[in-house]
Parts: sequence; C-alpha cells; structure tokens
Amino acid sequence: MDRDTLVIGAGSSGLAAAKNLGLAGFEVDVVERADDLGGNWNFAAETSRVYGSTHMISSKPFTQYPDFPMPDRAPDYLHHTDVLAYLRRYADHFGVSDRIAFATSVEQLRPLGEARDSGWEVALTGRDGEETRHYRRVVIANGHNWSPKLPSYPGQDDFTGEIIHSADYKSAEQLAGKRVVVVGAGNTGCDIAVEGALRADATYHSTRRGYWYAPKYALGRPADQVSDLIFTLGLPLRATQWLFEQTAKLVVGRYERFGLPTPDHHFLETHPIVNQTLLYHIGHGEIAPVPDIARFDGEVVEFTDGTRVAADLVVFATGYLIRFPFLDDDALPWQDGRPQLYRNILHPHRDDLAVIGLIQPDSGQFCLVHWQTVLLARYLQLVRDNPAAAAVWRQRAADRLDERSQGGLALIDSTRHLIEVEHLDYIQDLAADIAALDALLHDEATRHEVVA
Amino acid sequence: MTWPVRRRPRGTRIRRGPVGAARRPYEPVLRRRDWTLPPPASRHRELISALPDEPVEGRPPLLFVHGAAMGAWAWERWLPQAAEAGWAAHAVSLRGHAKSDAPSPLARTPLRYYEHDVLQAITELPSPPVLIGHSLGGLVVQHVLERYRAAPAGVLVGPVPPAHGLEVLGGLVRHDPAALAAALAGREPRPRAELLVGRDTDHAIAQGWADRMGRESSVAATQALAPRRPRDIRAPLLVIGGGDDRVVPPHAVSRTARTYGVRAHLFRGLGHLLMLEEDGDGALRFMLRWLEDTLHATGRLRASAPSN
Repeated sequence: MDRDTLVIGAGSSGLAAAKNLGLAGFEVDVVERADDLGGNWNFAAETSRVYGSTHMISSKPFTQYPDFPMPDRAPDYLHHTDVLAYLRRYADHFGVSDRIAFATSVEQLRPLGEARDSGWEVALTGRDGEETRHYRRVVIANGHNWSPKLPSYPGQDDFTGEIIHSADYKSAEQLAGKRVVVVGAGNTGCDIAVEGALRADATYHSTRRGYWYAPKYALGRPADQVSDLIFTLGLPLRATQWLFEQTAKLVVGRYERFGLPTPDHHFLETHPIVNQTLLYHIGHGEIAPVPDIARFDGEVVEFTDGTRVAADLVVFATGYLIRFPFLDDDALPWQDGRPQLYRNILHPHRDDLAVIGLIQPDSGQFCLVHWQTVLLARYLQLVRDNPAAAAVWRQRAADRLDERSQGGLALIDSTRHLIEVEHLDYIQDLAADIAALDALLHDEATRHEVVA
Repeated sequence: MTWPVRRRPRGTRIRRGPVGAARRPYEPVLRRRDWTLPPPASRHRELISALPDEPVEGRPPLLFVHGAAMGAWAWERWLPQAAEAGWAAHAVSLRGHAKSDAPSPLARTPLRYYEHDVLQAITELPSPPVLIGHSLGGLVVQHVLERYRAAPAGVLVGPVPPAHGLEVLGGLVRHDPAALAAALAGREPRPRAELLVGRDTDHAIAQGWADRMGRESSVAATQALAPRRPRDIRAPLLVIGGGDDRVVPPHAVSRTARTYGVRAHLFRGLGHLLMLEEDGDGALRFMLRWLEDTLHATGRLRASAPSN
C-alpha cells in the first residue's frame, strides 16, 4: 500500500516539514535514526555535532520559528539544551511527536519510476527489523553538518599526537593540559580555540586567511539585530560593508596588531564568524594565531610561515560534507559539490523528492526553514489540486534554477559557501514564491497581469 | 493557461539588489521590525485557566484575549462556563494589563508587542488553541491568526475592525469623548457605564467594570484606528457582537465579518462587554456550539488531531 509522505530526520528541519506539510493536509510519517528528536541539537545522540558549550550564534528573533517564538524567559542566545527543549515543545504542541518513528534509519531510497510523481521505495531499519515501504513523496531533512570534512597534510599519518575532527569534540575536558592546535576559523573553530585558552596548556589557532570577527553584542543589543537595523537603511552594499568594517576597526582596531592576517575580502563576503572573546584571549596571550599548516613532522606541526610547534592534539574544525548516504548520486542533480535544487529545496525533475534545511544562512536557521517548508507545502498542494498551474510555475522555477539568494555578495570561493544564503535575500525570494503559489492556489491569477 | 507575470501580489518584491536594499516588505514573512527591534521580554505574564473536570478528547484549548484597558479578568464569567461545557479555557493578560508586567513603558507599546504576548501564551499550551479576541484583542487575534496558521478556529467578539477604524472613533466621539481622549493619551479611560453594556444590564454593576479598567497604550490605541489589514486568514472565523454595542457598533462588526467573507452574529440587547453581561451567556453557548460544529466539519476534532 502506498503511504503519503515520509520525512527523513526529526531535527529542526524535519519537525518543521512534518508540521507544515501536515497543516497542508498531507499524511506525514517521520523517521529518525536516533532515539530522540532534535537532530544536531540532541546532544546525547551519536549523530549530534554540538559540544558541551554550544550556544546559538544568532539571537532569538532570527532563530525561532515565526509561529512559535522562543520563550521570553530564555536569554538572547540559547544554550543547546534549551534549543532541544524548545524543539521538543514545538513538536509536542503541533502534534508532530506522535508521528516520529525513532531508532529508525533509512538504508536506501529507490525511485519507483522516471516520472515526476512515481514515488519512492524506502528501505528502513527500525526497532522491529527491516521493512520496505512505498511513499508518494519523500522529504529529506537529514542535515548537512554531520559528515566530517577532513583535510590532509604531508606527514599527517606519522604525527605522534592525536588528530580529531570537531565532530568528536564534546567538552573542554578533551583539551585540558594539552598543547592544542585548532584548525579553522569557523564559529566552531573559534569556540574551541577560546575553550583551549581556558583549559589547554597552549593553544594555536590556525587559519588560512584573515577574517572579520563579528561581536555577539553591539550597542548593548544582539549584534545581528543591530546589523539588520543597519540593513534597513537601504544603503548601497559597499557603504554597508564600509560601515561594518569601520565599526570593527573602532571596536578592536587593526587585526594585524593581534598577529592576525588582514582580511582579504570585505565584510559579509564570508559566512559570518561571531565571536567576541577570541581576540580577547589572543590579547591575553592565551591563543597564538598561526597560518595554515604546511606539514606534520613527528610531534611537531609546521605552519606555512615556518613556525614549528610541538602539539599533543590537533582539532580540525574544518566543516562538514553534504551527504545523502541512502541516495544514489544520480538521484539528485549534483553540480559543483552541491545538489542544484530550486531555492535549495525543490528537485527540478521530480515532485516526489525535496530537501529541507540544505542552507547555511548568515543568520538563524529555523525561521528560514519554516518558510522553506511553507513553500514546499504550497507547491505540493498546487501539484495535487491544480497540476496544470503547477506545470507553469515549475517552468518558471526551472528558468531560475541558478539563483542562489546570496544578496549580490561576492562570497569568497570556498566549499564553505556551497549552500550559503543571505537571509534577507533568501527570505524575500521564498516570500515571493509563496505569494505566487498562493495566488495560483486560490485562483486569484486573474487579478494580476497575465499572459496566455 | 494563465500565469501572473512580473506584477506579483502587492507587497512582494522583484528587484534584485544589494543586501538590505529597500524592498517592499512582505508581511508576515519579512518581519524585519520584529527582528531588529523585538518586543522586550516579559518577566511575568498572567494566564488564568479554567479546566474541565472531564476533558473531552481531541478538543483544542481556548485562548481568550481581552480588549483595551482590560485584562484576563474580562473573561471571568465565560471561563468557568466554557470549562463546564468541556473546554479547557485560558485567558491571557497582555503586557501592562492586569497582573502582567510591562517590560517597557505601556504608553509606547505597539500592537505587535501584544501579538507577541498572545503567541507566547500560545506556546505554553499543549496544542494549537482556538483564539478568541474581544475588541482591541479581536484586532490582535486577527493579526496573530495571520502569523499562526495552526489555529483551528478564531472568534472575534465586538472586534476592532481590520480597517475603517474611524467607524469606531465616530461612535466614541459621539457617546464618550472623554474616555476616548483619555485612552488615546494613555490615561485610564473610565468610560461611562452606559457606553459599555446593553439596556438590560444594571449600570451600577457596569460601572464596577469600568472602574476596574486600567490604562491602555496610546500607541496601540492610535494604531487601532488605522491598522494593517491582515492579508490572509485561513482559520474558520466566527464574528459576534452586541446589538447595542456603542463602542464597536453592529455595522462595524458586520463589516469586519464581510471582510473575511462570513456573516456577523449580533445579539440583541447586549453591549460592548457582552462577555460580562448576564444575557451574554447565550452568546457563549452559541459560540461553543459553532466551534463544535466547525471543528467537526473541518476534521479538527479527531482524537489524535495532530498536525493537520
């Protein structure tokens, strides 16, 4: 018997997908590999990549689901345990919890045909053993921050110390009393370097280029709120960047003084790094900034400037790969290391497969994911209720498949920005799509200029 | 085949430009004011509840939102009756009203802070509630329904209209200009009793309610005269009002109902505070019957009514 809709993953994206597709009248089943919901935020799970001290890096209003605000009593930036509690309340409130099959993983997704709506054969392994089901449509929400991306340097295999990926970093205890090299200037890398400053014997922070380090607070308010306030001024992009750069210089001065490289790009042109304490610890001599690693040599790590330091532990905070282990490569239109999906959601050739949460915004994730799932729900409703109109909309979407919603920013070329979106640009692209789909769904097309 | 080209529905943007370049805002998706200047967090929000002895399986909770200058106490007559009829009934006090604290000066509180308060109260309930708003609270509920699409139904009781707010202004100017001036200035309105109730209710009792009123935000009261009209409410709506209402007159209630494509139900002899009037019990019974029927018809009453 054909089942209706399967959502893979009960993390922040899967929960929103299940809730909003359910609201649109679809019968949703959710499968979750771990035995609790929360995905990455389910700290107890083996699949979680948060560490003991993880806090949000975007403040509440940007992060929360728009129809389910985070509680007033919570602080501006939630700790990961509070995020999990929030997700649990969200799932309970909207009745999603009852629809999740825990400890159930998807082994294989196989298309039942070439047509747009063929459906999928899903091979599952659950508590009751293996099972194969047929679903009319599948929504993938398996996350993209779990499969470690590991660099490789000469001599790495013969390094006498320990090498871990930040995926295996759980607590500052792991750094205690060690000489630590942290590689990568992402938010995780900076967090771990700061924890190293407090716990390790010595901390070296290796970064490939100079970055802009944004504070968590400005003018006594969460800095993302202030920066969006600046965006509302509607200044030209360069003027906005100049304003941010001058602010950075006003607050911390020149990065070179701290031994950090000069940023080789303008503000906003990399994924934001929000860390207020990194420079503080560098200034206190507790973190030594170093450039990229050149090679390993016994217990020594050599950097590209010739600096050699002895280390006990190297932490690669070098990010994650986009992976769908249950899906054949040709099931998604891969291009340049990412699946090329409309708005990072819709498959160009299929209506029975979509991906939710496959974005890395310069802002909060859940809010954007909410609107992703609303768009998906509206589109699937249109496919169900008015296939002809859906076909026309799809044609237009196909023409815009290469839109990346990056706000016209010249992001530096890095795998880190494969799925980067600029939140204001992206949310307005989603909003425009939702409005157009709404108009078609409610047969209001005649109100607007039309073509035959 | 027709297709809306280029000119998208009002309020959406087309222009592709630099980050943050001025684009037409698209509420409720682009809620930029709520991101950049979020409502200050409340330390205490009053929520009074009346729960049924024997809950009826699958029934959503009810969340009542009071009108200007009042508080959760506005529903003290209806809450126990709703609970007796088998509904879990809750009433919230908006910030700065009754026992809810005001984290920022009440006089400068905009309507969107009230929407935030209602949403915060919603998140404390075990499942999506039916939203019931009276007067100014009725306007707040209209906006919340736009943002919170999981609500199984909405009920507007003598609601401030989503547009044409001048009809309300006209009535107040005629019947009690002093109360209106006080409300707009952020002082306690102290309206005359006959403004608030129908002809059958003892004015001495009504005066008690009038005296119990607190202050209202002058910003919110001013916004209510020309509010943003909610674009898109999908929840089934019931609009009721008092036939003798002098604050939001029957024709304004009817017009609000028409805005949403439904018929208003007006109760003869009742005034603006019909939920406190003795004869208003009939309106509550009518509302609960409507809810029961509507929720059955939309399939929202199933035992395990989850996410749809």
